[in-house]
Amino acid sequence: MNFKKYLLDKFIEILIVIFGYIIILMMLLAFKIPSQVIIGITIVFSIIYLAIILISYFKRRGFYNNLINNVGKLDKKYLVLEMLNEPSFYDGEILYQVLYEINKSMNENVKQYEMSLVDFKEYIELWIHEIKLPIASLTLMNHNQKKKIDKRYVEQIRKIDDYVDQILYFVRSENAEKDYLIKETNLKKVINNVAMKNKDDLLENNINFLVEAKDVMVLTDSKWLEYIINQIVSNSIKYIRNEVDSIIKLQVEDLTNQINLHIYDNGIGIPEKDIRRVFEKTFTGENGRNRSKSTGMGLYIVKKLCEKLGHKIIIESVQNEYTEVIIAFSKNDFYKMKD
Amino acid sequence: MCYNKKGEKMKKILIIEDEKVIADELYDLLKNSLYEAFILKDFQNAKQEILKIKPDLILLDINIPFLNGELLLQDLRKESNIPVIMVTSRNSETDEVLSISYGADDYITKPYNPNILLLRIANIFKRMEKNLNTSYYDDIKVYQNKGILVKDDKVLDLTKNEMIIFSLLLSNRGNIVTRDELMTELWNNEEYVNENALTVNISRLRAKLEDFGIENAIETRKGQGYKLL
Repeated sequence: MNFKKYLLDKFIEILIVIFGYIIILMMLLAFKIPSQVIIGITIVFSIIYLAIILISYFKRRGFYNNLINNVGKLDKKYLVLEMLNEPSFYDGEILYQVLYEINKSMNENVKQYEMSLVDFKEYIELWIHEIKLPIASLTLMNHNQKKKIDKRYVEQIRKIDDYVDQILYFVRSENAEKDYLIKETNLKKVINNVAMKNKDDLLENNINFLVEAKDVMVLTDSKWLEYIINQIVSNSIKYIRNEVDSIIKLQVEDLTNQINLHIYDNGIGIPEKDIRRVFEKTFTGENGRNRSKSTGMGLYIVKKLCEKLGHKIIIESVQNEYTEVIIAFSKNDFYKMKD
Repeated sequence: MCYNKKGEKMKKILIIEDEKVIADELYDLLKNSLYEAFILKDFQNAKQEILKIKPDLILLDINIPFLNGELLLQDLRKESNIPVIMVTSRNSETDEVLSISYGADDYITKPYNPNILLLRIANIFKRMEKNLNTSYYDDIKVYQNKGILVKDDKVLDLTKNEMIIFSLLLSNRGNIVTRDELMTELWNNEEYVNENALTVNISRLRAKLEDFGIENAIETRKGQGYKLL
């Protein structure tokens, strides 16, 4: 709080007081009061008024400076009320009460949205469990068919399942709650699950699937990681180059501080102008538009999940040569869960 | 008690699943794979039913009426060590960790590839049997983890892939094994071979068996798969 500005704010009040003093002064002069008395009265009067101004200034200064400082320092500014003492002057009390009411109503409002978001998320999760049942039934029925099953059906069912998973992981990645569980996971096992999931697609497209991995443990949520790797491998399958023998290579690199998983493919690659934006929400780029319909959500979700799990993810590519995604797991014991 | 063609006792598998379509399809799947399958009808007395049927393995869904699958498993583990595979649409690490800690032997999420489910079932039975790594093909002893076949004092070395193929054919002896089943088994063992490599592996295996004195052991059924005679 600035004293000069405060005085300026009190300008009219001060003018009135000075005006009143001049009138009193004129009256005193008119009654021929001795000048010593006039000087005495003037001094006392000035001191009293100055004291009044200073006291009310300092009272307000304490409260408002506290308010301004705290708002500046807080990263969630709406919590400022929690850090204030109730002021001892009337207009301050009014302000404090009003702020309190505003805060309360805001909290209720936010709470309401939060609840409806949680409800929505729960409903989505429930719905996903429900939709998985008919998908599972169809898969089984297809398998049990006496006649030779058409692989195209299986493929379409798998696509439905992938899209359903996309919603599930989108909801999980957007949600502020922590609904993952980090524990030691065998990277080779996760890779194997992804391989099994994409086996038909890989074989159908004559893609050589190469894995170079020792038994290495990383700290992660295995379900989330499986989704992440599956998404990247699906992309590699989607964007193969027809002129070459297609390769998708997964390689584990065990360093002192971290473990890197390289997922390499010799597919069509990503144009240089697009590569920095591939993790953006709904970004489709040249490949997404030209090759196949793309939602632009896959890599966005991957990035969000990686951020939540604390894995670094990098993508490198040269158009018409290769694409390589590197996921880095830190070797920090901090997260470790004993089971 | 049911016996299969080879005169061995068929393994009993109990399906605990309230979604009727899935339960019926699972039943067919298991029947076709030469298991004796049961579907649990009375969920209210699930534990008593299980103990009455005495299955060799249980496929247990989590979302079932009355006690949910996890509670039922906890309850069952107080009295029995029957292997249990949790089969569920709940796809989260927490559910899996919980189920395993309650004593489940495996955890598979819906929708699953039926071949993979059968493979996991077979793996559990294999783990349970004592003679894990040796079996017989007529008078030939098969050492799976050493990758060798032994007849009298003759030894035949097989590569890892050839052994995987031979073992699967052997455990389904007399029945047709599809290329897809062979592929699934190979990939499940982290051998990510392609179609050509599978063909090459099978013809190499054939040639090796022939050199070893077993002629025309593997029959090709066009469009269907292979059969070990």
